[in-house]
Amino acid sequence: MVEFWLFVLATAGIYTIFSLGLLVQFGIAGLPNFGNGAFMAISAYTMAISIVRFDLPMWAAAPLGIAAAVLFGLLLAVPTVRLRTDYLAVATIAAGEIVRYLALNMQDVTGGAAGTVNLLGPGVAADYNSEWLRFQVMIRGLLSSIAGFRVTSDVAFIAVVWPTAILLLLGTWLMVRSPWGRTLRAMREDEVAVAALGKDVFKYKLQAFSVGAALAGLGGLFLAWQVSTFTPDDFRPTLTFYAFVIVILGGKTNVWAVPVGAFLFAVIFAGTRFLDFWPLSLFSSGDRAYLRLIFVGLALILLMIWRPQGIFGNRKEDAHET
Amino acid sequence: MKHDAILLAENITMRFKGLVAVNNVSLAVGRGSITALIGPNGAGKTTLFNCISGFLTGATGSVTFDGERIGGMPPFRRSLRGLVRTFQIPRIFHRLTLIENMLVADREQPGDKLFGCFHRRGAMLARTHAATDKARELLALLGIERLGDEYAGTLSGGQRKLLELGRVLMTDPRMILLDEPMAGVNPALGLKLLERVEQLRSERGITFLFVEHDMEVVMRVSDRVLVLDEGQLIADGAPEAIRANERVIDAYLGRAAPGETA
Repeated sequence: MVEFWLFVLATAGIYTIFSLGLLVQFGIAGLPNFGNGAFMAISAYTMAISIVRFDLPMWAAAPLGIAAAVLFGLLLAVPTVRLRTDYLAVATIAAGEIVRYLALNMQDVTGGAAGTVNLLGPGVAADYNSEWLRFQVMIRGLLSSIAGFRVTSDVAFIAVVWPTAILLLLGTWLMVRSPWGRTLRAMREDEVAVAALGKDVFKYKLQAFSVGAALAGLGGLFLAWQVSTFTPDDFRPTLTFYAFVIVILGGKTNVWAVPVGAFLFAVIFAGTRFLDFWPLSLFSSGDRAYLRLIFVGLALILLMIWRPQGIFGNRKEDAHET
Repeated sequence: MKHDAILLAENITMRFKGLVAVNNVSLAVGRGSITALIGPNGAGKTTLFNCISGFLTGATGSVTFDGERIGGMPPFRRSLRGLVRTFQIPRIFHRLTLIENMLVADREQPGDKLFGCFHRRGAMLARTHAATDKARELLALLGIERLGDEYAGTLSGGQRKLLELGRVLMTDPRMILLDEPMAGVNPALGLKLLERVEQLRSERGITFLFVEHDMEVVMRVSDRVLVLDEGQLIADGAPEAIRANERVIDAYLGRAAPGETA
């Protein structure tokens, strides 16, 4: 059981980081980016490839991954952010899928459907994660000596991901409530009026997109570090939908609601493995895994009916949504 | 007149497919003047406004503001030059409070830059303080200061017009383009708005160009009236002259019915 909660906590930490990026893009700036999975994938693959192929140290490969995500974000944003919201959503989901299919098919570069274990071609097990694992062992040793008992590697992972998440929450909170964040919110309400007041709407949109891309990129790195190999299918559009669920669950604009939403989501998500009682036990465990999608969808529908402003959202503010 | 024009539009033509919405219009607006732009519905008034403020692209002709050609500039650059507009249907930020609406328009805020809240924190907080005072003062000038912390979405139509004007004033503009400032505003409030316009012109030297249908208002506040009909400028002169102009009477003002005083 402890193991379960540790897994929930670790997952919630990662989801907090990349959902925070979506909060800036979608909740604050009003740009529904459905291609978040692609940002994570590009970051994770860039890191893995630079380590495996180019022998870069992890501490150099990680920032490179985030930079690649931001670069992709700008590349995607320049032609698309001028689109109306609904078209932007379609364009970004398409871009996300293009990235995933490219990763699936460019076997020489990404290892294809078999995943990063195939990065050096079939027959050789490629490993991008050893430096991270050494780092995790060090943290684990450190924590064990402080605690006085041997902690698990899950605990060490949490001890890295959550302080990072909290720092980012704090930074994002400061940015969102700053005049910069206020301009983004104004842009979400009426970008024509923002332009009329002398603000370069395009520039602000690119900035919001880049900040979101960087956070998604970091989330992608943690997803990669949590496992030892990943495949393009780990970055399906559903991953982006999870982030949307988390952001909407929290009320779209509330930074501190994101970790709560992420935690609740992780509980629902990971908790479905306990749904092994009758009549659900009639399904195979593989089929039961899909129940989580049904539960997540159901939770979102019920929320929209009874609490459209999210758990922490401001009903008063929401009443004026245009 | 032309030598002290703050805004100069020359040979503006705007076509939408076959329709010529604005047809070779040239006009000059004197610095510190209050100029009215009138004409029947569909005459091209708002289209002309959009061409001047840059929200419509594809117009031919040239626009000069304070000696600088601004014709090819995107709207935000024209606004930064000091030529700021309002909209016929007010475009307010519904889910921001009135004060926040005003603060968005502040141009001296270092925290408005990406990461500005980290590396220019002190300057940001100081400016927020000063700008909030300025915003409250302006809201008081417009008589809506007690609503400062309400969401703008709660405002009535007339109040929204006032907020939009307040937001424009927050930018310290040199010239304001008002698109039907009185439409939907109750007469008492409208009167107040007019007084403000005259006050802003005399105290701050702001130039106004406004579209308006209420002839009483036009005659009362404007120094000069431009009349647009079917995309063409058909008259340009002092209010009294315009009222007597035969072409304008035919196209827009109409003749008084027998027994009625014009």
